[in-house]
Amino acid sequence: MNSKKSLGMVLKTLAITGSLTAASLSFASTLTVSSPQDPGSWDPIDTFLVNWASVATNIYDGLTYRGPDLKLQPGLATSWEQLDDGKRIRFILRQGVKFHDGEDFNAAAVKFTFDRLMGDEGKKGPQRSNYSAIDSVEVINDYTVDFHLKAADPVLLTKLAGYGAMIVPPKYIQEKGEDFFNTHPVGTGPFKFASYEPKVGIKLEAYANHWGGAPKLTNLNYRFISEPSTAVAELQSGRVDLVIPPTIPIGMITTIEKDPNLKVVTTISPTVYALRFNTKNGITKDEKVRKALIYGVDRQAIIDSILGGQAAQITSFQSAISFGDDPSMTPLPYDPNKAMQLLKEAGIKPGTKIQIDIRGNDATFNEVSQAVASYLQIVGLNATIKPYETNVLLNDIIPAGKTGEMFQQSWGGWTLDYDNTAYFMYHTGEKWNPYDSDPALDKQLESQRSITDRAKREEILQSIAHYTANRALEMPLYSLNAIFGVSKRVKNFTPVPDSRLRLTDVTVE
Amino acid sequence: MSANRFSASLSRYKSLEFILGILLTGGICFLVVFSDFLFQGADKINLSARLLEPFTHAEHFFGTDPLGRDVMARMVSGGKISLQVGFLSVAGAVVFGVIMGLVSGYYRGFWDVIVMRFADVQLAMPFILLAITFIAIVGGGLANMIFLLIISQWVQYARLVRGSVLSLRDREFIQSAQAIGVSHFSILFRHLLPNLIGPVIVLMTLNVANNILLESSLTFLGLGVDPLTPSWGGMLADGRTYIQNAWWVSVFPGLAILLTVLGLNLLGDWLRDSLDPTGRTSR
Repeated sequence: MNSKKSLGMVLKTLAITGSLTAASLSFASTLTVSSPQDPGSWDPIDTFLVNWASVATNIYDGLTYRGPDLKLQPGLATSWEQLDDGKRIRFILRQGVKFHDGEDFNAAAVKFTFDRLMGDEGKKGPQRSNYSAIDSVEVINDYTVDFHLKAADPVLLTKLAGYGAMIVPPKYIQEKGEDFFNTHPVGTGPFKFASYEPKVGIKLEAYANHWGGAPKLTNLNYRFISEPSTAVAELQSGRVDLVIPPTIPIGMITTIEKDPNLKVVTTISPTVYALRFNTKNGITKDEKVRKALIYGVDRQAIIDSILGGQAAQITSFQSAISFGDDPSMTPLPYDPNKAMQLLKEAGIKPGTKIQIDIRGNDATFNEVSQAVASYLQIVGLNATIKPYETNVLLNDIIPAGKTGEMFQQSWGGWTLDYDNTAYFMYHTGEKWNPYDSDPALDKQLESQRSITDRAKREEILQSIAHYTANRALEMPLYSLNAIFGVSKRVKNFTPVPDSRLRLTDVTVE
Repeated sequence: MSANRFSASLSRYKSLEFILGILLTGGICFLVVFSDFLFQGADKINLSARLLEPFTHAEHFFGTDPLGRDVMARMVSGGKISLQVGFLSVAGAVVFGVIMGLVSGYYRGFWDVIVMRFADVQLAMPFILLAITFIAIVGGGLANMIFLLIISQWVQYARLVRGSVLSLRDREFIQSAQAIGVSHFSILFRHLLPNLIGPVIVLMTLNVANNILLESSLTFLGLGVDPLTPSWGGMLADGRTYIQNAWWVSVFPGLAILLTVLGLNLLGDWLRDSLDPTGRTSR
């Protein structure tokens, strides 16, 4: 064991010196990416982690594809049409595509993928519930499949572009077994799997026969580095070329920008932050108090200073790129006098205690919450902050309704559809909605789920946004940009809003 | 003659150790205790004065942190939490651990088995696991944190003391004390304790610094204090992401920990020397 380790060290040192000479000769083009998390399994149905997608988007294809421009394009399906009022979708499949192991891609593979996802194997993972609209997949011929749906799902085509809907090789999985597949993924994507060392990294190689053309890189290596200062130090020393979100805290942006060999690339992202209210108990039960708290906090000042402008104010709990956001809505202004007046009207005495529950490990939000607390102190409340271990907050405190008056909620949502947020936050009985029950809101949330008419759905989602803002169910704070640290040697890199990174066009000098 | 001068300079050195130690520790304690009077209201968040450099602004001599708060004011008042955690947790662990170690080493038999097996179980449990379980059962807060540190660290002292007692209990001076009928209590605290306190004091001074830092890591787990209340460990942790552009955010609280520990070490050295029975006779 020990000698193995030291041998490994020697090899690593050799590899580093080797890659240095290689770089100076520009002989092989390898991109090394720092990712904050090892998902543990590369099986599409086992995960909901964004950092699974930032690797696996290179290994797998879906029937549809959504790139950095967020527009839906053909993927393994060249075309599709919605039939029977959206209850059946017919896909025409791409021909001549092969999996990395040489297996043919065809209708049987599609059926296998979705039977697996909706069957016993999928039941073990978290992905299945996202695709519950699918009733069955019918093979029409080798390159045509019909999806039969239980109910129309307006977001399904988007969902087919990622995560659980990635097409997997039937023969390979049946022969090698599920456990082997978890650590030796095979897909049809532009990069094929080379090696995986848990908690250390995964290495990919270019797959020259990809239907979209061969990638420009020859090797793509990911290293799992969770500590931001380590990731940035590796970027500075040139051992890593790209640091992907969520790694770099706002406070480190200046460090990277000061380095002549590095740059920071950011793009708008779906990740939103809010302080939600306990609408059942305590002073925040009163809508007036909730509005007063929103008036009392200068959210724009927080964005400009603490967040260094890498965020945008939100009006409802969604970012500007979310389907259902109404750009005509304006946030409540910062008005401490109005806040104090509302608090007085609600009969709140100065010095009343208010507790803010946050995740203990989020350095940036920790600063934000301290600023919020100090603004609340200005309008006369005695705000305290209670940090929790992230899993405790998410699994015990919030779902059980044991939070203080306010609690941190951050939400991603790669489908960029407000339904994905609003339903979980506001529908009665949902895990993330321990306090509120509003029949009128429930009804609206349910009604949009089966409508395929985009314009009509957008109207309903926007009215939900207005409704929740009027009831002041949360203090909307900001949507945070996706922040990438990039070496200047890397060319043609386009930042993606949703962490679903496909690095086919990137080159390294 | 030369031996005389040597011992004279040695005792002067010892008193120098004492003077420096008491100056550092006393000075820091004084500042911390009176911080509320010295830095009234200097700890306000001010987003328009973020990360001001030190030594350039008269009102923020040590600069400001990422939320525009005065680093000097926070550093001084941050000592309140840090010193409480550092001192109380170590004091509690020492008292409990030393008594347990003395009892199990001196009496052996039943008590020894009970205490040491319990200590084995405790040592086998990772600290983080213990901390998470503890939070889940009794919740967070300063008092709970100190209690957690005590129950996780008394074992070190108990082990250390028990080992020394085992080697001392058969020595002639203990046997003679027993022979002339000195009470067990007196043997434990007047004969054994002074002979084994040296390493305990060294361990104590190390643990004070360690616990001041542990306080900040426990804050990550949700056991710590309100982030609005400054503490040295917390300030170090907050300053970590800024270290390359704003060193002063973490360097000053780090210096505070360093000086405190240095002072305690000097005092500890002096205390050990003056408590050591063999050192006393040679003087």
